[in-house]
Amino acid sequence: MSSFNPYTQNGGTILAIAGADFSVVAGDTRQSEGYNIQTRYAPKVFRLTDRAVLAVNGFAADGNMFVKKVKQRLEWYRHAHAKDMPLRSIARLIQTMLYSRRFFPYYVYNILGGIEEDGSGAVYSFDPVGSYERETCRAAGPAQSLLQPFLDNQIYFKNQQPAPGMSHPTHLPLQAVLALVIDSFTSATERHIEVGDGLEMYIILGKGRGLQGLEGVKGVQELTISEDGERIFVVRRELKKD
Amino acid sequence: MEYNGGSVIAMVGKDCVAIASDLRFGNQALGIASNFQRIFPVTDRTYVGLAGLGTDVTTLRERFRYRVNMYTIKEERDIEPQTFAHLVSSTLYEHRFGPYFVEPVIAGLENTSSGSKPFIAAADLIGCLNFAKDFVVAGTASSKLYGLAEGLWEPDLGPEDLFETISQTLLNGVDRDAFSGWGAVVHVITKDRVVTRTLKGRMD
Repeated sequence: MSSFNPYTQNGGTILAIAGADFSVVAGDTRQSEGYNIQTRYAPKVFRLTDRAVLAVNGFAADGNMFVKKVKQRLEWYRHAHAKDMPLRSIARLIQTMLYSRRFFPYYVYNILGGIEEDGSGAVYSFDPVGSYERETCRAAGPAQSLLQPFLDNQIYFKNQQPAPGMSHPTHLPLQAVLALVIDSFTSATERHIEVGDGLEMYIILGKGRGLQGLEGVKGVQELTISEDGERIFVVRRELKKD
Repeated sequence: MEYNGGSVIAMVGKDCVAIASDLRFGNQALGIASNFQRIFPVTDRTYVGLAGLGTDVTTLRERFRYRVNMYTIKEERDIEPQTFAHLVSSTLYEHRFGPYFVEPVIAGLENTSSGSKPFIAAADLIGCLNFAKDFVVAGTASSKLYGLAEGLWEPDLGPEDLFETISQTLLNGVDRDAFSGWGAVVHVITKDRVVTRTLKGRMD
């Protein structure tokens, strides 16, 4: 008899991009096992606080449990300190939570996006045992190999020379970032069988920075709860279902 | 395919086609040479790129040269890209149960009654042909090239825009692949000339 395997891969892909004073965290909503689609709507991106969003990808059962435990730790923090945990502290918390399971890991790649205490947009990416780094953009999941080089080119302007006397911007405006996220997922949907069905994009805006054109986006929905100043939104889009 | 590394891509434009590859020849993770040509002219408007095992790239280049020469002598005309694609396919399928470890990419301009028409095709190692209308990829960076090409390519690009598109696709794709890179070469084929450019790339 074959031995019990506690892990499986559930497909899907996640992606996050940081702007100067905003952050976008996105994921598709397909959940699959091998060639079977289990559901066309299983969220992989979760609101933690009004300035932090967590995307999880890999083994869905572990992912959901992990998000549940992170949310629980953040609630305890709120009760103890009467405020939301800062983003960089959430990142360190996630590292210690992942590493505490070093020899029976959560089989999950995490990407944390949000606003830092200084008001800047941030993205933190993790491996399953807690090694992490702050970056401007990151893709994870089965379509990482399709998306990451595209982001290198379009976000970091790799292999592109600026016009004489000019320089590449370090951060893109929100409209450009949203367009890139949608293009990335339509491309991944076209060429990867585990990506598709639906797209959820969470947008976290820094304090008092206005809507940056978000008011014009079709189907945008606000999820802000607190009065701290940061605002959080979700935009949903259909992806091909084949 | 990971033994020597390397990647090839071809794209269709408006009245033109482009084919490009990296120049790395490695021995697994160790880089050996940065001048390994894996794209070869078949006629003056048809090119073939061979991604895969280096020794088979060299052997097949000679085999194709022989068979194309025989075709040219018998038919007294140049071989069409589509005909050449089928020649590649049948050559590879002859070795169905002990294949050459290559993934060929063919790009050229077909002769039609009203001038010429872009043609690209790719095959797997036993010769199963893929006639794509937009772009084809092969080699160790193929998944990266698919992601980039799907995002950057658009229909009816002119020769200069097509060159920029295929170059950016290749360069950014191979930069995320450990087995490809170390420079690149791009051929843009138009009805009256072929422009070949050698690109500088990251050398790490």
